Amino acid sequence: MASSNVDPIQTRGLSKRYRRVTALSDASIAVPEGRISALIGPNGAGKTTLLRLLAGLARPTGGEVAVLGSHPSQDSAFLADIGFLAQEIPLYRRFTAKDHIGIGAHLNARWDEASVVQRLATLGIPLGQRVGTLSGGQRAQLALALTLAKRPRLLLLDEPVAALDPLARRQFLAHLSEAVAGGGLTVVLSSHLIADLERICDHLILLAASRVQLCGDIDALLAEHQVLVGPAKDTTAIERDHTLVQAVRTARQATLLIRRNGPVIDPAYEASDVGLEELVLGYMGQPAGPTPKHLSAIGEDK
Amino acid sequence: MTWVVWRQHRNQAYIAAAALAAFAVLMLVTGLQMASEYRSALGLCAASHSCSNLASTLNLENSAVSAVVTLTVVVPCLLGVFWGGPLVARECETGTSQFAWMQGISRTRWLAVTVGWTMLAAAAWGGAVSALVTWWSSPVNSLNLQNFQPSQFDIQGTVPMGYAVFAVALGIAAGALVRRTLPAMAITVVVFTLVRLLVSEDFRSHFITPVTKTLNFLLHARAILPTGSYWMVSSGLVGPSGPVRSGPLNGGPSLTFDGVPIPVSELPSACRTLLFQTSTKSASGFPSCLAAHGYHAVLSYQPADRYWAFQGIETGIFILLAAILIAVTAIVVRRRDA
Repeated sequence: MASSNVDPIQTRGLSKRYRRVTALSDASIAVPEGRISALIGPNGAGKTTLLRLLAGLARPTGGEVAVLGSHPSQDSAFLADIGFLAQEIPLYRRFTAKDHIGIGAHLNARWDEASVVQRLATLGIPLGQRVGTLSGGQRAQLALALTLAKRPRLLLLDEPVAALDPLARRQFLAHLSEAVAGGGLTVVLSSHLIADLERICDHLILLAASRVQLCGDIDALLAEHQVLVGPAKDTTAIERDHTLVQAVRTARQATLLIRRNGPVIDPAYEASDVGLEELVLGYMGQPAGPTPKHLSAIGEDK
Repeated sequence: MTWVVWRQHRNQAYIAAAALAAFAVLMLVTGLQMASEYRSALGLCAASHSCSNLASTLNLENSAVSAVVTLTVVVPCLLGVFWGGPLVARECETGTSQFAWMQGISRTRWLAVTVGWTMLAAAAWGGAVSALVTWWSSPVNSLNLQNFQPSQFDIQGTVPMGYAVFAVALGIAAGALVRRTLPAMAITVVVFTLVRLLVSEDFRSHFITPVTKTLNFLLHARAILPTGSYWMVSSGLVGPSGPVRSGPLNGGPSLTFDGVPIPVSELPSACRTLLFQTSTKSASGFPSCLAAHGYHAVLSYQPADRYWAFQGIETGIFILLAAILIAVTAIVVRRRDA
């Protein structure tokens, strides 16, 4: 990766407050170019808010955000590079696919009409039928095809597969992978379906309780974490050397998810690698920010 | 973008065009018939030298058609409700704003083109309906001299165009603020009605200071009454101790004398007795009696030649209000999260 390139997404301390609710707090993330980033988190964690802030549909109440090197705005130059697909797949229900293609052609300087038409023909989605009468899967596919026809450099997709059956989901994700393989496209994709994301994503942004818990390359994150299974004894030693993410204790046994700071040498514990799902669930169990208590404890020890 | 606006609103345009065409046919057919009826009546009365009381003997209007013409007063409000109200509100409500505003066109431009065409259409439709009504009414106007009266003033000339532009701007602004179609429509009806009433009831008569005339009962009043289709703003009786309250007082009878309401129970008893005597001689003595007791009438009116100035001022006020509302809409749409 060229080091001179600025990451397409960079935020620092990004926050969004609505009247009484904090939807996103102090989010600092970076997504390198060409990645498919999985945006994961429980309901209400701030996934939609983050995507809307990146797209410029919402304004932050704090912090900084740079998308493709500029501040998200309503300028046509910025919008031309962003493909955004909202969760509810907003299309004009009384318009046909053909009407939508026409709208796209008239509102975008860069518009790959041939690709949409071909894509819809492959999927068997009728061009002349009102969008309101299409199935949920067809609508999502149409919306993705329209978003991709803009030839964006950054694609922001908010739970695009939530309403789809497994087959449609597979087709949708295949379509997406194909588009990314073309190059020059970075994707952030939110979903609850970790298994789906695991197949196509190589980057992870994990949100919980309006905060960023993890952000980085999935393989690197998995390598940094381990599950330790051992006796339910005092875990202070482990907590001193590593960052304890989650501990499940029974009377006889403790299962610890840790972020390693070096090798685990305690022979009492059996160490094993973690999967994406385990990692995500471990962090979702965390109520507050990413382990500030443990970090301060380490500081005091020194 | 213009293509997109047309695609989005062409059904509304078709419906409005059909309604306008039907109305135009009605106006043309009945208008031509009425005009020829008026011409022949004028010819007949000229032959018999009885044109001065033609207004009281000739009834030109068909009541059903007149009712339709009177109802055109709601056309601007309808345009505001059905064109203005949903314009931004429906995009927000259905979430399609997230589709429209993420295409490669700035939100400002999207709004400018959409609002621009809609306002232009509102002016065209409001203007067309008003032009038809104005043309249709011309024989009635010259016969009854009523076109400066609020009920006619509001549906003729240029003001309906101003109302239509204002109503649509109001609908758009309400939709941008509340982001829900039905509430935006309701707000449009209520606010439009209130503003229209406020202007026509409270402000219009002060656009230009009314002409005031004092009517001495010694003279025959008709000689100094204003002519043509003037608009009487107020008229009343002034006695030796100031203005006399008009209208029926203490349940007593009231009457008008050359258009001036006379509160009978407030008059000196000497004149009152004259009034209720049936002989013509003593009845003609009534004005002289009032004048002798220090009474005179004061008329306050807008002369007929101010009609177009008033039309222009009122149209201007509503176009200015529309411009303010559109500016508010632009700020709201740009500033608020989509």
